[in-house]
Amino acid sequence: MASFVVPITVISGIGAILAAVLVFAERVITNYGDVQVDINQGDKKLTVRGGGSLLETLTTQKIFIPSACGGRGTCGYCKVKVSEGAGPLLPTEEPYMDAQERGEGIRLSCQIKLRNDLKIEIPAELLTIKEYLCTCDEIIDYTYDIKQFRLTVLDGQLMKYTPGQYVQVLAPQYDKSNEEVYRAYSISSDPADKRAIELIVRRVSDGICTTYLFDYLKKGDKVRINGPYGRFYLRDTSAPVIFIAGGSGIAPIKCMLHDMKNNNNARKSIFFFGIRTTKDLFLEQEMKQLETELPKFKFVPVISQPEPGAPWQGAVGRVTNVAEDYLKQQDDVGNYEGYLCGSPGMIDASVEILTKCGITEDKIYYDKFS
Amino acid sequence: MSFGSHMLHLVVILFAAIFTDNILLARFLGMCSFLSVSRQVKTAVGLGFAVVFVMTFTISLDWFAYRYVLQPYGIEYFRFILFIIIIAAFVQFIEMAIERYSPVLYQNLGIFLPLITVNCAILGASLFMVIRDYDLAEGIAFGLGSGIGWMLAIVAMAGIRERLNNARIPKGLQGPGITLIIAGLMALAFIGFTGVLSSR
Amino acid sequence: MKKSPQERKLERLLRSSKFSASGFMGNDRRNLWEIIDEDASEIMRAGKTMEEIAQRMRQITDTAKKGLGDWVHVSKTIKASVDDNRGTIPCPWPHHIRSLKRITTVQHIPTETIIRWSELNIHLIEEHGFFEGRGSAFRIEPSILVDILFPDE
Repeated sequence: MASFVVPITVISGIGAILAAVLVFAERVITNYGDVQVDINQGDKKLTVRGGGSLLETLTTQKIFIPSACGGRGTCGYCKVKVSEGAGPLLPTEEPYMDAQERGEGIRLSCQIKLRNDLKIEIPAELLTIKEYLCTCDEIIDYTYDIKQFRLTVLDGQLMKYTPGQYVQVLAPQYDKSNEEVYRAYSISSDPADKRAIELIVRRVSDGICTTYLFDYLKKGDKVRINGPYGRFYLRDTSAPVIFIAGGSGIAPIKCMLHDMKNNNNARKSIFFFGIRTTKDLFLEQEMKQLETELPKFKFVPVISQPEPGAPWQGAVGRVTNVAEDYLKQQDDVGNYEGYLCGSPGMIDASVEILTKCGITEDKIYYDKFS
Repeated sequence: MSFGSHMLHLVVILFAAIFTDNILLARFLGMCSFLSVSRQVKTAVGLGFAVVFVMTFTISLDWFAYRYVLQPYGIEYFRFILFIIIIAAFVQFIEMAIERYSPVLYQNLGIFLPLITVNCAILGASLFMVIRDYDLAEGIAFGLGSGIGWMLAIVAMAGIRERLNNARIPKGLQGPGITLIIAGLMALAFIGFTGVLSSR
Repeated sequence: MKKSPQERKLERLLRSSKFSASGFMGNDRRNLWEIIDEDASEIMRAGKTMEEIAQRMRQITDTAKKGLGDWVHVSKTIKASVDDNRGTIPCPWPHHIRSLKRITTVQHIPTETIIRWSELNIHLIEEHGFFEGRGSAFRIEPSILVDILFPDE
C-alpha cells in the first residue's frame, strides 16, 4: 500500500508547497501598498492603491487624461509630465516621444505603473474634466450621413464648457465591438442649456463609435461622456471673425454663435459653410434664425458640386475660394480672426488663403480632425 | 580529484555544452521557439538571455529536488512531472519579481518568460543532468553552457534570417522550409566540433 | 510549425474590433498567411508589385486630395474623391504606424465600378501585402484594383 501512497503524497506535497509559495509571492510582491500622487505641485494630492497604471488610477479618481486606445499604448495621447518617481523610459513609450519630450520627462500615463510616490503635472483644465451619465433623448437625421444626438445629463449640473470645446463619448461593448472606446465630438448646442448638450456626428465608414451611435443607440438609451476638452474657442476681442467649416465641422461654430447671441456680442462675423451637394446642406433654418438675431452675422453656405438641375441660388465653388473672394473685398482684412473646423485638407487650404489675404497665423484658430 | 582539475572539468562541461553537444543543434531540443522567434536578432537575443537565466537556475533547483526528494523516496520515475512543476513555478515567480523590481529588465526579458515554460530544452537539460549523474557544480556548468549554446544558435539563425529577407527564395521553401534547411546546415557545422571535447 | 505568439496575437487583433468596427478579416475563414499568399499570387499574375500598386494608389489620393472632397478627374478612366474623418487609426502590425482616417473613393468611369481605400489600406498593401479578408468593409479585390489602376495593360 505504501508503495503508491508515499510517492503520490510527496509529489502532491511539493506541488502544494510551490503553489503556496506562488500565492504568497503574489500577495507580497505585487502588493505595492498605498502611494501618493501629487498633481501640479501640491494642487491636489491623491492617496491611491499602487499596482495599477497611472492612467487607470487617475480615471478611478475621476481625472480624465485624454486617451483613445483605452490604455493599450497604441494611441500616444495620454501623455503627462512626470517630474518625480517614474523610472526610466520604457520601450513601449519610446516611439511616441521626441527628444524634447524625453528631456522634459513626458511619459505615457497608461504605461507607467504606480509603484511609489509620483509627482505629475497635467494641464489645469484636466482637473475640471468630469464624467457624466446622460440619456440620449433626441436623434435627428440631418443628412444621409450626419445625425445630431441630444444628451441630457441624468443627475446634477452639466459641465461648464467654453463654446468650441469637445467631449469624449464612450462607445460601450456592442454586437460588433468587444471593447469600450472613447471618441471625441464637438459640442454644438446652445450653451444656455445647462442640462443637455448636442453633438453633430458624421458617420465614419466602419468606425467603432459612429457605427454604435448610428446603428445601435436608441432614444432613451444611456450614454457616458466626459469632458470638456480642447483649446478651440472664440477669443475675447472685438475683431471681426471669419468662420470656415465643412460638413459636421459646423458643430463648434454653431455653439460659438449661440454664445455670441446670448451675450449680445456685436462682432462682425461671417460663416462660410462648405458642402458638396444640396443633399449635404443642413441647419440652414437655424443659421438663418441666427442671422436675424445677430445683426452683424452672415451665413454663406457654399456648394462645390451642385447636382445638375438642383434649385440652388447660393454660392458655388470651393469654400476656400468663396471666402478668399470675400476677404479681398474687405479693407480691414488684417484685423480679422479666422476660426476653422473641418478636414485637414480644408484647414490647410483655408490657412493658406487666410494668410495670403493678410491674416497672421497667430490669429487663425482651428480644430483639425486629427 | 584536485581543485584545479575539477575546475578544468567544469570548464570542459561548459564548453562542451556550448559547442560539441549544443542542445539545439546536436540534440534538437527547443526547436519550436527556435523556428518561430528567430526573425529578428533583437528578440532572439532577449529570448536567448531568458533561456540562459532560467536554464541555469532551474537545473540547480531540479538537482536539489532530485537529490533530496526523489532519490530518498526512491521515486526517480516522477522526475518528469516534478521538473516541469518546478520549472513552471520558477518562471512564474521570476516573472512577478522582475515586473516588480526591474521594469526595464521586464520589458526586455520578462515578456519571453512565459514562452519558455514549455521550452523542451529547459526540461531536457535537467533530464541530461540526471542521466549523466552530474553533481551540483557540474549541473550548473552544464545548464549555463546549454543556455549559452541555445542562445548562440538562435541568434545566429536570426542573423541569417534577417539577411535572408534580401534573398530570393523559391516560394515553396519560404518560411519554415528554408529555416529547417538552415538549421540542418548549422547542425552539420556544429557536428564538426564532435570529439573535440566531451561532457562526460 | 506552430505560429509564434506574435503571429497569433496579430491574427487575433485583425479579427477583433479593436481598430475598426468589423475588423480586418471580414468573414474570411482562411488564416492570415493564406489570404496574403493568395492575393500575392494574384498580383504576381498581373505582373505588378505591391510597391507599384501602393505608389499608384498614393498618387491618385494625392491628386484627388486637392478637391477637398469633390470628384477630381485623375485620368481618362478614373475620377476620385477624398474624404477625411477625425482621428487616426493604428496599423495592427506591431510597429507603431498610424494612418489618417482618409478615405479615397475611386470610380472607374467606363464601367462605373467604384472602389475605395483608406490610407491604412495603402500601408497594409505596401508593407504587409494585405488586402484584408473577404467581407471586411475595406477589402479590396486585387484583380479589380489592378484593372482600375493600370487600365492600359
